[in-house]
Amino acid sequence: MTEYRVTLSNRDGAAYMVNGRRPLLEQLRDQGVDLPYGCEYGGCITCAAKLVEGHVDQRRQVALNNRQIENGYVILCVARAVTDITLEIGVESHDKLYRNPFLDPLKPHELKADIATPEDV
Amino acid sequence: MKDCCGPGYSSPQEAIEAPREKLLYTIAIYTGTGIQKPDYLATVDVDPDSPTYSQVIHRLEMPGIGDELHHMGWNACSSCHDDSSMSRKYLILPGVRSNNLHIVDTATDPRAPRLHKVIEGAEIKAKADLSGPHTVHCLGSEIIISFLGNAKGEAPGGYLQLDKDFNIIGRWENSMGDIKFGYDFWYQPRHNIMVSSEWAAPNTFMPGFDLEEVGYLKYGRELHFWDFEKKVPVESFYLGEDGLLPLEVKFHHNPDSTHGFCGAALSTNVIHWWKNEEGKWQWEKIIDVENEIHPEWPIPLPGVMSAILISMDDKYLYLNNWLHGDMRQYDISDPHNPKLTGQVFMGGLLGKAPQVNGVDVAGGPQMFQLSLDGKRLYVTTSLFSTWDNQFYPDIRTKGGVMVQIDCDPVNGGMKINPDFIVDFGQEPNGPSRCHEARYPGGDCTSDIWL
Repeated sequence: MTEYRVTLSNRDGAAYMVNGRRPLLEQLRDQGVDLPYGCEYGGCITCAAKLVEGHVDQRRQVALNNRQIENGYVILCVARAVTDITLEIGVESHDKLYRNPFLDPLKPHELKADIATPEDV
Repeated sequence: MKDCCGPGYSSPQEAIEAPREKLLYTIAIYTGTGIQKPDYLATVDVDPDSPTYSQVIHRLEMPGIGDELHHMGWNACSSCHDDSSMSRKYLILPGVRSNNLHIVDTATDPRAPRLHKVIEGAEIKAKADLSGPHTVHCLGSEIIISFLGNAKGEAPGGYLQLDKDFNIIGRWENSMGDIKFGYDFWYQPRHNIMVSSEWAAPNTFMPGFDLEEVGYLKYGRELHFWDFEKKVPVESFYLGEDGLLPLEVKFHHNPDSTHGFCGAALSTNVIHWWKNEEGKWQWEKIIDVENEIHPEWPIPLPGVMSAILISMDDKYLYLNNWLHGDMRQYDISDPHNPKLTGQVFMGGLLGKAPQVNGVDVAGGPQMFQLSLDGKRLYVTTSLFSTWDNQFYPDIRTKGGVMVQIDCDPVNGGMKINPDFIVDFGQEPNGPSRCHEARYPGGDCTSDIWL
């Protein structure tokens, strides 16, 4: 089975090997990484981490809006590695995850996927 | 409690005359705070004659992290008063995110509650296709809990029924009709009525609040009236712009009354309903909290009324404005014409009370519980981890607080008690956030009379 290297940029570059079949949260926790989580099905952003390098498959997540995705957030409880990746984990990575919705509105293309409209080009 | 009887009180008047509360339970969360510890149930000493008054005296941790404890409910209330085989012994603590239901024994040692049983979230999903638990009410000797989504976190969810030993019976309702969302509910058995309100799907509200999604109808704006015995919704009121995010639902405690109230959080209005002389349910808006100008905001700031509460004597309605920072008391002796009789500030974004009793308040008044005699209102400041993180990012390092407001149940009026404050920023494992509170002897948000 293909294995990928996961490097944690804010844990002194600690590295772990994972497969592409099971979610990153489960595999990293099994190897002793202490990660936050909540719903474990991709519906809440408690386990969000920032993808610094590489690619994941997170088609099962329904929690992120397109701005959060654009800012690199991935939902570890459903995301699977498809390449070697580098992640920033925990709340230290959440600097752009939360915004005041009254002060910083989303543009139509930045909404969640089911209601977003394509960006004007 | 009389030897002859079950839990609670024979009437609201008997509840008002019950002994003063000495302990209070509140949930406190670490979910979403960055601290990798379980959420817990805190026991707070509220006896002024005790050496540990105004302190957390016990913490019951949940088995795992990530539950997001939120609201609670008793296994039994005054609706079982005639059943001497029942007692108000167990507090049910749902985890909104994990879907787990924690059954906590508070009777064996009221100061140090212990975990009795956990109903795993996965079992609830498998047997009842539900997630996102919220309100717990006992129902005679059984229990129903509103869930805001199906197993995939999609609205409208439904109601889980448990037997008195906390086994899953299944879905309570026979139909959700055309209901789009779930949230809170309250019932008034003498009128065979239940009223339910609407927040949003778990997949919508759990990640945080995208204001734009209100316009896309991802948040509720309706109230639903149920045939309680048939367990089906029979009538819905579309509240429109006056009723954006209708959250907490309360009937009068008087079991003969048809008057009830709901706080519409985003519109920051109180909706009142009643049955008229022709037997038809009517609704009207009775309180409209104006938006406030904030010097740094491009648009006026809504109050965000996330909770309401009715005093046991049905005379006063209490409400919060989480973003403005004030708690209010209205005399609702005439429910069509409420009169503002008290107001205090604690935290909030308007900067009117950044500190209370020497403690920084990061957040605003949010959940509250009133003593049975109507004199002491205990108020906490955290709403929901992701929403806190959006509006009050400082709460991550400062934690939540619990404040006591002294209320005058005769002439009206409220003021902050100078001797009481519980600073959850000083908790042993780091800043946590407190939310809903309950008293061992019953409270103003539990008891329903048959």
